[in-house]
Amino acid sequence: MKRILPIMLGATLGLLAATSAFAIERGGAMTFARYDDSTVIDPVYADRNPDLWMVNGLYETLLRNGPDGSIVPGLAETHEVSADGKTITMALRTGLKFSDGSDLTGADVVFSLDRARNPELGPWAGLLGAVDKVTADGNKITVSLKNPDPTIISILATFNTGIMPKAAFEKAAGATDQEKARAFFAAGPVTSGPFVMKSHVQGSSMSFERNPNYWRQGEDGKPLPYLDRVEFLVIPDDATRILKLQAGEVDAAEFIPFARVGELGADPNLKMELFPSTRIVYAPINTREAKKDGSKNPLADIKVRQALNYATDKNVLIKLVTFDTGKPMTSLMSAATQLHYGPEPLYPYDPEKAKQLLADAGLSGGFEVKLTTLAGSADDATLFTALQQMWAPLGVNLKVEQVDNPTRGEKNRAGDFDIHTYGWANDVNDPAQVTGWLGYYKQRQAVGTGWNNQEFNTLFEASNVETDPAKRKDEYKRMQEIYAAEAPLLFLFETPFAVAVSKSIEGYVQTPLGANDFSEAWRAD
Amino acid sequence: MPSLSYLVARLLQIIPTFLLVMIFIFLLVRLLPGDPAIAMAEAKATDAQLEQIRHNLGLDQPLPVQFLVFVKNTLTGELGRSIMLKAPVTEIILARLPTTIFLALYSVVLAIFLAGPLAFLAASRVNTPVDVAIRGVFQLGLSMPVFYIGLLLLTVLAAQLRWFPVGGYGKTFLANLYHLILPALSVALYTSAIILRNLRASLIEVLDADYVQFARAKGLSPRIIMTRHVLRNALVSTVTLLGLSIGNLMSGTLVTETVFAIPGVGRLMLEAIFARDYPLIQGLTLTFAVLVSVVFLLTDVVQSWLDPRLRQS
Repeated sequence: MKRILPIMLGATLGLLAATSAFAIERGGAMTFARYDDSTVIDPVYADRNPDLWMVNGLYETLLRNGPDGSIVPGLAETHEVSADGKTITMALRTGLKFSDGSDLTGADVVFSLDRARNPELGPWAGLLGAVDKVTADGNKITVSLKNPDPTIISILATFNTGIMPKAAFEKAAGATDQEKARAFFAAGPVTSGPFVMKSHVQGSSMSFERNPNYWRQGEDGKPLPYLDRVEFLVIPDDATRILKLQAGEVDAAEFIPFARVGELGADPNLKMELFPSTRIVYAPINTREAKKDGSKNPLADIKVRQALNYATDKNVLIKLVTFDTGKPMTSLMSAATQLHYGPEPLYPYDPEKAKQLLADAGLSGGFEVKLTTLAGSADDATLFTALQQMWAPLGVNLKVEQVDNPTRGEKNRAGDFDIHTYGWANDVNDPAQVTGWLGYYKQRQAVGTGWNNQEFNTLFEASNVETDPAKRKDEYKRMQEIYAAEAPLLFLFETPFAVAVSKSIEGYVQTPLGANDFSEAWRAD
Repeated sequence: MPSLSYLVARLLQIIPTFLLVMIFIFLLVRLLPGDPAIAMAEAKATDAQLEQIRHNLGLDQPLPVQFLVFVKNTLTGELGRSIMLKAPVTEIILARLPTTIFLALYSVVLAIFLAGPLAFLAASRVNTPVDVAIRGVFQLGLSMPVFYIGLLLLTVLAAQLRWFPVGGYGKTFLANLYHLILPALSVALYTSAIILRNLRASLIEVLDADYVQFARAKGLSPRIIMTRHVLRNALVSTVTLLGLSIGNLMSGTLVTETVFAIPGVGRLMLEAIFARDYPLIQGLTLTFAVLVSVVFLLTDVVQSWLDPRLRQS
């Protein structure tokens, strides 16, 4: 049965694809309302979500993230990792062209990867830290590593390794790479992805047009994308963005507040899309022995951290904050992350156990905890009120401190907090990024919690050079178990990406990594 | 008209104002917790990477050095590069400023056209139902926050009745008049409420003044009494108020531009603060200081034209 099921599934999907192929219509435009504008959509310099979530629209990577999260071929038709894990060889497809009609060759690949791994340039160079050399011989690309790196295949499918045109970029005006990048993008850049950027009015609007030379085929056997144009409007205010959609002036609006999901889902003209994401909402706990002011920190005791986790009714929070669109966390990483291990929700609500744990820690008399939240965030305000009520029976007196985003970042880095709210979405289709961020002490003191677990650190270091996928999987399983038990976080929930789309648009996707994918979107009216 | 020496004196007074604004804004943005590096890295960078970013931005230099660079740059008209938008601050501000000025002027004109005639009507029929009704409606405008009025107008007039677009900005002058009518109106409702109250009160006072009574007794035509005696005197305090409210309006654009998705300098300021974009915040504050100074200067000029007594000092 186990073997038949995938075959049956495959057959059904194939049939579905075959029938829908007749339905797809080409041409037309869609208008997309965004919460914030892009600045520079350069694979290397993109440093904010509104930038990096747009890169794949303009620049294609050698490998791609498939719809099920697996790595599939991109500009490179094949890829192979040597037995020692130190050499990756890839074969470029033949006949690849940039949007201006020039050939996409090995030289462009070497140029793009060298730029992506140059630490003098963008913030993502570290992802390619293991790369020693990139060479091209005809269609054959060779990436040589200093040491084995199991994440490298995922990185070659990550936006920062998008392939840019060497000749056109070098022709752009400017002395430094930064200046060239600015001139290159201001002039309407030559691209390798499904679209070209026709215009961009900072803070207001942006226009993507179909790249006629894009390599991928649609279901009708002709090159993607189906749409001729995608127009972007920047509308920062949630209420206005939704009004614009309801008035029919745009075809889709992103970042719908969860409180409005039910209402928009009931609108006969709209589809309320809740795309599976790698986004988690969690709260780092300061695990240091002493607080910033020198006083003793009760949260340093693992029992206290576990108690607070047990005393938190995640299902109630999911109802109150995400209006039932979220899911409880089962691991430090979202369930959509590769190598995720989490058979069941962490710390199911159990106030009795919480009470017992606090008694064991000698804190039945109660104590005070400060929750640092984002000022103006309705979600954080709800979260605080709910936690305050849930924890009060334990004698935990929860106080609130409201700050803006950079202040929260500063407090996190200075270790000047008890517990604070935080969110995360993966940028890379690999668990190393989120695991290093949340748990590895040497990177960021385990998301600023000060949690320093030797076994976890050693496992993380080993997993980063592990060439055997089975062993790496085991290491990740063990790390996730340790992390769950040690509870350096208040585990809250996973949330989807909520995008409301007009019924006349099909095929738009926001990927689990957040990227806006218009390559297979089409107009049905 | 005011004399040239009066204008020069007023212009010279602006210089110390600017110096103070520069010092204050330079220190204030740096007193805020968090810095551009932290805001920019969206918390994902390691401490070493942060140090690198700070170094690249010159934030690891001592404060006096940073201040001198800032003053030197400003004097040469160079406001630095925006950290958030990765482009020269002057260029960014110049691209966004016309939108905000357009919106501000548009709402002032609307406010004057709304408040002026109605104030006359109310003042000439003091305590009649007309007067009470006019005051009542504008009291409502005064007691609702601008963003709320804005959302109400958007929901009813734009999303439901579809008379106007929901936010955004046009490309031509006429398109902008159409696109910006709701934001201009929501700001104007607030401003006109203030003007109306003031103008109505001064009109009532002036209409009752001895010299107006005398003019009437002299047998001057009501038209001449109105323009030469009543209006000219009643407007003095209203012009002051209008000048002040344009200053307020600049801060009002922070909210209005966000609600209506207008790419002006107000919304830019808000974004710059959240990104701790020091050069951009500094540049924008200076821009606001210049704008407000110009408006106040114009107010003084108009006033001294209306009231010759002010020219002596």
